[in-house]
Formats: sequence, structure tokens, C-alpha cells
Amino acid sequence: MSRFRQNVLAVAYREARVMLHDRAFLMALLVQPVIMLGLYGGVISNQPANVPWAVIDRSQTALSRRLVEDVQSTGYFLPPRRVAGYAEARALLRRQSLLAVLIVPGSFRRDAERGHPRVQLLLDGSDPLAAARVGGYVAQVAAAFAVRREPPAAPPDGPPGRAGAIDVRQRFWFNPTLRDRDFFLATIAGMLLTNISLSLTGASLVGEREMGTYEFVLSLPTSALEIVLGKLLPAVAVAYGLLLVALVGSGLCYGFWPAGSWLALFAVTLPFVLASLSVGVLVSTFARTSAQAVFLSTFFILPSFVLSGVGLPYQLMPHGVRELGGLFPLRWYQIASRRIIERGAGFGQVVVPTLMLGLFFAVMLALVRWRMKPRLG
Amino acid sequence: MRWRRLRTLLVREGRATLRDPFTITILVAVPLVALLAFGFVLSTEVKGLPLAVLDASDTPASRRLIADLAAQGTFVPRRVVTRAALERALVGGAVSAALVVPPDFDRARARGADRPQVQLVYDGAEAVLAGNAEGYLQALVEAAGATLARPGAPRAGDGVTVAERALFNPTLDGKPFMVAGTFGFVLSFLTILITAVSIVNERLGGTFEQLQVTPATSVEILLGKVLPMGAIFTLDVVLMVVVAGVVLGVWPQGSVLLFVGVSAYYVSISLAAGLLISATSETANEAVQKTVLVSVPLVQLSGFIFPIRSMPIPFQWATTLFPATHYIAVTRGIYLRAEGLTTLWPELLALLGFGVVLIGLALRTMGRRP
Repeated sequence: MSRFRQNVLAVAYREARVMLHDRAFLMALLVQPVIMLGLYGGVISNQPANVPWAVIDRSQTALSRRLVEDVQSTGYFLPPRRVAGYAEARALLRRQSLLAVLIVPGSFRRDAERGHPRVQLLLDGSDPLAAARVGGYVAQVAAAFAVRREPPAAPPDGPPGRAGAIDVRQRFWFNPTLRDRDFFLATIAGMLLTNISLSLTGASLVGEREMGTYEFVLSLPTSALEIVLGKLLPAVAVAYGLLLVALVGSGLCYGFWPAGSWLALFAVTLPFVLASLSVGVLVSTFARTSAQAVFLSTFFILPSFVLSGVGLPYQLMPHGVRELGGLFPLRWYQIASRRIIERGAGFGQVVVPTLMLGLFFAVMLALVRWRMKPRLG
Repeated sequence: MRWRRLRTLLVREGRATLRDPFTITILVAVPLVALLAFGFVLSTEVKGLPLAVLDASDTPASRRLIADLAAQGTFVPRRVVTRAALERALVGGAVSAALVVPPDFDRARARGADRPQVQLVYDGAEAVLAGNAEGYLQALVEAAGATLARPGAPRAGDGVTVAERALFNPTLDGKPFMVAGTFGFVLSFLTILITAVSIVNERLGGTFEQLQVTPATSVEILLGKVLPMGAIFTLDVVLMVVVAGVVLGVWPQGSVLLFVGVSAYYVSISLAAGLLISATSETANEAVQKTVLVSVPLVQLSGFIFPIRSMPIPFQWATTLFPATHYIAVTRGIYLRAEGLTTLWPELLALLGFGVVLIGLALRTMGRRP
């Protein structure tokens, strides 16, 4: 047993030295978190902003102008453009100079007096996410629009003066202003770790085989398991370092600290990192050149990011695709991270994702052993 | 430039590419996987979302409200009995939204003095989901509530009905948007990567130097690389158009010919970028790492997934510095809105400029002999 430990530590030591000599890798380690923190914290958002829109006001009354002002005051829109008619509106929508066109009919005032005021909203459906959101904003403003001038009784904590038979008050927990930044920051550790883990094991193992140093390691009196564990050890250390950078970076730059237990987060991270690293090892058993290793890794990273729900909600994906995303460790890790970081969960609430990640690691380990055996025999 | 020399180079490059089964697999598989992966992920439709319901009133009126809500199929109500259970369900992610009906719901309704109140709670941690669900749920609750209202009950205002119409994509289907963008992603990432790696490997193997000492001029060497690769990737474009159409049901609304033409030109820009990366890389690994570094803005800043308009203004300017931004704008224009040359010319002009600069630079690196 002690011999086993010695061998593992020896391989780990060697691996750590190699890592410290790889300038390109160290650069990636340094640059990636900075880029991710910058982009996801300050640049990227799914929320519509600066929406270009236009109004065709055929009513030209104080009432219609007030409606336009109300829409404008949501803060999502640029000042409205005046367009002459449908044809021009359509042309501008097609060119993406506009995202939405509000059409107030000539009978708007009369309709309002009769109690059935209607307006039409044309949206650019070619950008469905933005169109759906913008449509939602306008519909909400319109539904709350007080046709008679009497000020609606605005509830202090809800959105201003809603109409209708029921007084609906809504609240967003965990993220009251529904900031996309929090949504992304909670998962950048997962994205970073996926990226780095795969390049750590996948490309480096193949690189060694290309250079001939792999043969050398194989000729040592170490078993496959010892080599794998020895290689994983420093990688795990790097991963935890990155996790800390991501957490502390989001905290210091954006004041976004985990709401839940740090300990629980560290606990879930272990099976996740091991699972991702073992995917890299598996990739290395298939690839013959480091270029091939990168291609294969991309095959894994790309769907990981897309299907796991880090940037777009997996809950809205069609069945089949949604379940497919469950085959990637990042899905379970992002579920756990959101629970802990955003919603303040403790370890009790992330047991299922942790177990799934553990299971994934076990399966990968079995596959790696099966793939490596013939070469080591 | 001699045609015979060029032809030799073309044949050489074509054979070298087609000989390697791994490259062929990548060339076919990556576009297909990307199409299928990206095609399905963007959905704005809220369907079957679990909704926690805490009905503290538990009266016929509140039960009817909830039954009305369930009947729509947009949300699947799950009863919880305590506030603590509701919190647990939200924290644990079992539900994404919750409806709370207070104990005095029915009394307030019967009294008719003020409007009965309900509370909607969303899981803000899933910001996108909450943003999409918000409109739906509110509208549903209000519609369900309207059937409960006593005639003549006071109303705070009247509200205006909005008749929405989405042009170009009436159902707000996410597939066309993502499919059109995927062309930009695949053509940028894959072309840069494959060229960079292939040339670096030639350098390492010494075959590139052999090329440089042949009588072939740098223009011929460049064309010998770019033309066969360009042809192969243009075939890839056609393959993607067909697969997107047959499997995902997304066909270009505008001119297919214009689309393939612009794509072929964009491929040559990407290939030039790949040549530049290869020129500055010592090993294949380095080339790959640089490509990945270039691809970060490609996905995040090109408008492929995240809207450019929502970025801070300096970044909006920065996005125009990537050829991919313009290409994606063009593909979306042709694919989704049937745009033609009359409206797309500014983007096409920008692409033309990028092409001249990048191809010029690539040409210079070709001529340089170590």
C-alpha cells in the first residue's frame, strides 16, 4: 500500500514539474479566468437592452402618447422612431434597424371609452429570445395601463398599478432584479474547470506519447492505476485553485459571493473535476496526435456548454435533448452550483448531483482501464 | 503564376486532406453535431414547467383558480402545504416558480371591496427561465382570475390588449436563429483549426519548406492551400444546408446561391486567419491553443448566442472587429428574413475589407522563407 502511495506521489511530482514548465498552459490558466470573469460579469447578457423600436401612432391623442411613454419608461428601449406606415416598418424590421413596432389604431381613444382598447405589436421573430421578452414587456405595460387618468393604487412592492380582477404581485427570489450576471457567474467555475480539465489530461497525455516520454513512464514499475492517479492529483489541485479564483474573483469584482455553503461547493467539485479529468484521459486513449485530442475534446466541451444549461435554461429544451444533457458532468455541476451559490443551499440539497457525478467518474474510470489495458499489458 | 504548377499543388493538397480518415470524419461530424446541438437548445416556449402552489385559502374559488391554471398545460402545479416546503422546493430547484394564495383570498373576493391578492414567486437564480416564464404566468393568473371576478367589482385601470405578431418567424421558434448562427461558428472555428494544424504539421514534417524551395510562388502556394480547402468547406456548407433543411426543417428564406457564395468567400477569410495562426505557431499544440483563444470572442461576442445590443457600447464597437460578427449578420439576414444585396451590402463590404487584409497578410507570411 505504501508502495502504491509512493508511486502515485512520484508520478504526481513529475506531473507538477511538467505543468510548471509549460508556458502556454500557464498562460491559458491565467488568461481564461480573467476573460470569463470579464465577459460574463460585465459584457454578456440575454436581457434585451437598447431595443430599437418604432411607433405608428394613428390615434395621435394624449392617451396614445402616454402609452408610448409608459413603454419607454421600462428602460429597455431606445427612444422610439417615428415611421410612416406598415411598409416602412416592415422594411426596417427586415434590416434589423428595429426589433418592435407598436401600432396604435386611429380608433384607440374611442375604443378606450368603450372599454376595449387594442394596439398591435409587430416583432422581429428572427431573434426569438429577444422578441419574446420584448413582447412580454410591452404586454405587461399595456395590461397595467390606466386608461382613465385616475392613478391606480400602486402596491409598494409589486410592479406599478396592475389592472385586472386579481392583484398579482410577483417577486424574484435569489436574484431580485433578475440580473443575468448572477446567472452566469454562478457557473463560470464549471465552464473553466471543464475547459482546463480536458486540456490538462487529454492533450498532455497525447503530447507525451508524441514526444516519447509516455513510453518512458510506461517502462517504470508503476501500474496503470498509479499513473492515472498520479496524473490526476496535481490536476485536481489546479482545479481547486481555479475554483477559488472564480469564486473570489466574482466576489471582489462584482460583489457576488456564494450564498450557501463553501464546504458543500468544494465537496461537489471533487467528483466533477475527477469526472472531467477522466474524460480527458479517455480522449487521450483514442487520439493519436494532440490535434486529434483537441478535436475530440471540442466534441465534448461544445455540447457540454450548450446542453448543460450554463447559458440557456435546459428546462425549456425539448425532451430528448434535455435528457441528453444529463450525460455531461457539467449539467450536474451547474445544477449544484446554482443551488449552492445562488440559492444558498447546503450539502443536503446537492446529494443527487454529487452522486451522479460520482457515478459518471466510476464509469469513466472503468472505460479508461478497459482502453488502457492492452497497451500496458 | 503557372496553371500547371498550381494544379500540381491543388492535387497534392486535395489528396493530403482526403487521405486522412480522421480529418474527413471531423469535416463531416463537427458540422452535423454542431447543427443538432445548437439547433434545439434555444427555446422561448414555456411548457410543462413545475409550479409550486401554496393554497392557504383552500376555498372553491382558489381551487378553481388553480385548476384553470393547470388546464393550460404551461405549468404543472405541485401542491405544497407550508411556506418552508415552498422554500425547499425553490432552493432545491424542484420548481421554478410558485403561486401563493393567501388565506383571505376568498373573503377579499366576496367582499368585493378590493381586488383579491395572490403572490407569484420566481426562482431568479435561473434568470433566463424566470424572464421567459414571467409573462406567461402573469397572463395566465390574470385570465384565470378574470373568470372569478364579480361583475361590477372595482378595477384599478382597464388595461390595453396587445395583439402581437412576430414577422419572419411567427411561432418564435428558436431553431432558425440558431441554425443560421451555427454556420458562422462552424466555418470560423473548424476552418481556422484545420488549416492551422495542417500547416504547422507540414512545417514540423519539413514538407512546407520543400514547398517553399520549389519554383512555386507564394501566391501559388497560398492558392494551393486555400482553393482545395475552400472547396471542401463549401461542400460542408451545402451539406449543412441540406441537413438543417431535412432534419430540422429550416431552409433559407432568401437566395441559396447568394448564401453559398458569401459562405465560400467567408471560408477563404477564415482560411487566411488559419494561415496567419500557423505562421506564428511553433507546434500544433500552440496553434490549437491560439485557435481556441480566438474562438472565445467568436462564440460570446459575435452575436451568435448573446445579443450584441445588450452589451456595453465599447464592446458593441469591438464586436465589429470580428469578421464572424458580420458573417453571422449576413447568414441570419438571408436565412431568416430573405434579405438580399440591397440591405446586406454594408456587412458584405466589411467582409470584403477583412478578406483583403487577412489574405494580404497571409500572402506575406507564405513568401517569407525561414
